[in-house]
Amino acid sequence: MTEVQLFSTCLAEEFFPEVNDAAATVLERLRLKVTPVRGAFCCGQVAFNEGFRDEALDLSRRFLNSVEPGIPIVVPSGSCTSMLKIFYGDLLADDPALSAKAMAIRPWVFELSQFIVNVLKVKYIGARYERAVAYHPSCHLMRELGVRDEPMTLLSAVAGIRIRELRDREECCGFGGMFSVKFPHISASMLEDKLARIRESGAEVVVANDCGCLMQIGGGLSRAGDKIEVRHLAEVLAARQG
Amino acid sequence: MAELHKIIASVKDALGVGARSNSHDAAASAPVPVAQSAHRAALASTFARELEAVGGKFLGILTPDEVTNRIVTLAGEIGAKTVALGQGAVSDMDAIGEALERADFRIVRTIPVADTERAAMRERVANADIGIADADFAIASTGTVAVVSNGDRPSSLTLLPPASLVIVQIDRVMANLAAVLAELGPEGVAANRLTLITGPSRTADIEKRIVLGVHGPKSIHVIVVWPRDD
Amino acid sequence: MAEIPKARDFFESSRAAVSDHELRRKLESASARHLDHFAEVKAEFPAYDDERDAAHRIKTGAIAHLDELLIELKSKLEARGCKVFFAEDAAEARGYIVELAKGRGAKNVVKGKSMTTEEIELNGALERAGIDAVETDLGEYIVQLRGERPSHIITPAIHLSKEDIGQLFTDKFGIEYTAEPEKLTAEARSRLRTIFLNADFGVTGVNFAIAETGTLVIVENEGNGRLSSTMPETFVAVMGIEKVIPRLEDLSHFLEILARTATGQKLTTYTSFITGPRREGDLDGPREMHVVILDNGRSAMIADPVIREALNCIRCGACLNVCPIYRRIGGHAYRSVYPGPIGSIISPNLFGSAAGYLPFASTLCGACKDICPVKIDIPRILLHLRWKESAGEHRLKWPRAIERARRGARRFAKMARHPRTVRALGKLAAMVLKPFAHNGYLRRIPGPFGNWTKYRDFPRPRPHQRPAPGPERPPG
Ligand code: SF4
Repeated sequence: MTEVQLFSTCLAEEFFPEVNDAAATVLERLRLKVTPVRGAFCCGQVAFNEGFRDEALDLSRRFLNSVEPGIPIVVPSGSCTSMLKIFYGDLLADDPALSAKAMAIRPWVFELSQFIVNVLKVKYIGARYERAVAYHPSCHLMRELGVRDEPMTLLSAVAGIRIRELRDREECCGFGGMFSVKFPHISASMLEDKLARIRESGAEVVVANDCGCLMQIGGGLSRAGDKIEVRHLAEVLAARQG
Repeated sequence: MAELHKIIASVKDALGVGARSNSHDAAASAPVPVAQSAHRAALASTFARELEAVGGKFLGILTPDEVTNRIVTLAGEIGAKTVALGQGAVSDMDAIGEALERADFRIVRTIPVADTERAAMRERVANADIGIADADFAIASTGTVAVVSNGDRPSSLTLLPPASLVIVQIDRVMANLAAVLAELGPEGVAANRLTLITGPSRTADIEKRIVLGVHGPKSIHVIVVWPRDD
Repeated sequence: MAEIPKARDFFESSRAAVSDHELRRKLESASARHLDHFAEVKAEFPAYDDERDAAHRIKTGAIAHLDELLIELKSKLEARGCKVFFAEDAAEARGYIVELAKGRGAKNVVKGKSMTTEEIELNGALERAGIDAVETDLGEYIVQLRGERPSHIITPAIHLSKEDIGQLFTDKFGIEYTAEPEKLTAEARSRLRTIFLNADFGVTGVNFAIAETGTLVIVENEGNGRLSSTMPETFVAVMGIEKVIPRLEDLSHFLEILARTATGQKLTTYTSFITGPRREGDLDGPREMHVVILDNGRSAMIADPVIREALNCIRCGACLNVCPIYRRIGGHAYRSVYPGPIGSIISPNLFGSAAGYLPFASTLCGACKDICPVKIDIPRILLHLRWKESAGEHRLKWPRAIERARRGARRFAKMARHPRTVRALGKLAAMVLKPFAHNGYLRRIPGPFGNWTKYRDFPRPRPHQRPAPGPERPPG
């Protein structure tokens, strides 16, 4: 059976374990053998984004040593994917050996929806999800990876789903990793608007491809006592029942 | 010739203006090949549309004879009392000035000045109700006129009075900015002050609302001249 | 001298700004209008992306040959009769202009819109020398009357409503209150017209300087740039070293995109090409023309291959309008002359590491990079600056909570090097926190990330549900 490596990402592993389960389920349904990347916990983006290069370097080294080039590495996060695919280039510029390794895996790293739609060329997975859903595109997915239509392609092929239009959907939700903790007032103001748009969309469920967005939006909805749920795209794709 | 008429008509249609006297003659007498004329007319039509889109007024494609009359009419329409003009690059500004004077408009003629006369001359231009100047080129894609200024044709004419009238020859209407800069060339650009003017002076500094006529003219009128012997 | 911005000041000013709903309304409506116009002009200009690529290429090439281009520009400017002064820093530039103004006995200084003169704080210096300088761009005029700085590099008074401006004019000029933009504009026009006709010293910025011809190109909509550069006997143009482009034929690529992104116009109303002072017999133009070419930290930016790209900026202001943070806090909260995404790059480089907090004030969402007409990869440069700041010797003084959060992130990163340990700790945390969770969320979390739960709930940590099928693959 054809193999893929599935990298959980630290946020999913710690806070949204069902995302990995769902991603694995979806990939297995597509007749792939899923090998989790267990040797690394975090791609290093948190450290890199804060300017802590040494720590980020250590984490990238560990990641690169935990994966194999030549086998697709699927990541259920646009943000971590862009770290692996794009920002490793900057981070590792001064380390020829690691840099070479990063270059070698680069064409093999894919965000989940990107992998399914563009590599496997699959749109229909046989999911059924009978809820009203609004899709929030995460920033790195759109603007670093250029993955704009793929998630919608997959969502629109889910049986029973009712897609709701999310106004200003390309606006950042305000997460931004540590930004959300360092400048919580600005982050919260961005979140507030995102929540307002979500509410007016009439969705029962907000779907995103990044656990960061799920944390931010889910945390905001929970604080407001709102019944709207957050789900990762993988969870919707893995669903078989309404 | 039929094609050319159609294009001119469609220019007018596009602009929503009625038929003007003589323009038919002008077109009919044009001896240039149809393709070239058609091309010019098409550029002029684009220019007219873009000019109006930025708030400028297109006064039409006129023959040289018509220009003077149109200017006199315009001066009356905008309620001008004083008109400032310099020398033309092509236009016969003396004739235009005389016609305006005959129609009882006061004329301010800009001429090369000595330092001591500068302030007074500017004051007079600033107090005129409209300034008239020839443009060296026009840019169809943006509705822009390119005006080179010098002692005979000071930049003040298109800047200080509240209204501005610019005359451009049809063979000087270029497709885009790059074409105009290429025509002028480095030496042409550097020889004198060059100003590209795209519509009336405007601002959006107060709540992004567009207001016309901040420091420069509040209105700009453009005539495209189609020479009889062309 | 500029007050040195501090991280704490930014924290406080941004906090005040996000709760200012009136400010928010003004910024949102202005930026929405801008983006609508931009979308329109972009849609009908298929060559937009090609022009962007060309502009990016030309500017990158120009910066790579900046030394030669500056030499060429200088000699061409001088050949056209300009005096050229290279200023290493703001103080030198200020000093030159103030001395010149004093030497010419300048009484009425008029200024066209120029961020570079804001950068060198020219107005204050002239004032201290007893010379009044009047800003003549309507927006700049308004903020000057209020004793403020511009809050946007293109729309200086974006933070003010027409009512604010109406009130300002009533207070300052004793005229009857009106909030009609037309009337307010007419009032400003007539006041400034008198000043212009008597101006003896003019200062403007420069958008492009063409090395090949020694021509300065100034774009504007109002006409005040034309007036400032034609009416006074002495004219000073102030430009950063990065404004030079090699040839005339390069220019159209920039002009085709600048107005489109800056204001949603195809071309600005006026594009002035100024090559030297007036010629014999000219009515208009200055008798003498000076060009001040300012470094002030820019050459140091060139030295860093990542930061260098920021010098491609043509100051269109679009990145401010799309920035979700700028649109919430406005320009003043940044506490720097250059606000917004590009300001967060330029400021620490021009004003020193005290502004080093600015690159951190971003979610890196990338909206700026998407719209930038010269394709500057702003998030990437911000990341680079974060690293330089964190690795630098003169560390920022962050507010305590931020410092704690940053240390927390660093600790986490160190821990994450050992997946087994961090997984075990994760399980432990899940167990400890479980009793405190409601519907899967925690109302409050302790520790370095505690700020999170000031505004939203935190998901409770949960152990794995799916047993990993394979054995843990050891690294290496
Ligand atoms: S960085 Fe780009 S978008 Fe921002 S002002 Fe400069 S040119 Fe415009």
